[in-house]
Amino acid sequence: MSSYQPKGRRRMRAAAHVGPNMTPMVDVVMVILIFFMLGSSFASPDWYLTNNTPAIKGGLSKNVKVQKMPATRILIKLTQIGSHTRASIAAFQTEDLSGQLLKWLKAKKKAAGKNVQVLISPANDVPYQQVITTYSDCVQAQYTHVAFSYTH
Amino acid sequence: MSRRGITPMQSEHVNVTPLIDVVMCLIIFFLLVGHIAKKAEVKGVRIPSTKHGKDLAGKSGQLIINLVPRPPLVVGQQRSPKVIIWGERISYDLLPGKLRQYVNEYKHSHTVVKLVIRADKSIQYKYIAPVLIDCASVGISSIHFMTRRPG
Repeated sequence: MSSYQPKGRRRMRAAAHVGPNMTPMVDVVMVILIFFMLGSSFASPDWYLTNNTPAIKGGLSKNVKVQKMPATRILIKLTQIGSHTRASIAAFQTEDLSGQLLKWLKAKKKAAGKNVQVLISPANDVPYQQVITTYSDCVQAQYTHVAFSYTH
Repeated sequence: MSRRGITPMQSEHVNVTPLIDVVMCLIIFFLLVGHIAKKAEVKGVRIPSTKHGKDLAGKSGQLIINLVPRPPLVVGQQRSPKVIIWGERISYDLLPGKLRQYVNEYKHSHTVVKLVIRADKSIQYKYIAPVLIDCASVGISSIHFMTRRPG
């Protein structure tokens, strides 16, 4: 009996050591997990500007409404001069789209009130960035009726 | 005495198997989500920056129209961009029909279809406007322009 006991202990100890060491694997897997978690949180810095389109009868939309055009209208013409984009509203002209134009729009909004239609009319060669900046100004100045025009 | 001390220490090891199961599931989840996001959003598009914008509530129901610029053949003349929806390249002529098809499919699986325009900031307006007109002709009532925060 006394000679049997040490043998059994040796067997138990050997069984406890069988199997791979999981520690390095857990380390690596945790690093991968943290990488993906951080990556997914940094991967979506996008935000959005929403624009209501005039839905056309015969399309897929069920909510086609006939809307009255607001009485006051502001036409913002965008033209490309070299690498600069110029915004013209009647006599007012500026190339500072996110500064001067925004100020003008805010001032006009105060004077004109709620019922104003803004029409952005970019020339064909105006870059998308400038169109979006102008639209962002309109949204920031709290105009609710903003549309885009297009001439071939 | 020393042998008694060794045996309990070996049995006190933490069982990491469930932890690895959970962590592996999380990794597979993030890999799949990343893969799906990549498929919807095409590389090579420099999103325009704006000071104003808002987050869309949830990514569900988003139909993203990617407008990817192509290198010019003649210096100073921009070529029409590639229009890509869910990895499928669509020509400008076929866009209204394809949009109608996608919107119909989306309406079956989603309560709200959020149409997102994801265009490169350098693309000229003459290539953006036809897409807006096609969206209106299909009957989409609101369009979301994808932008990014400045900086």
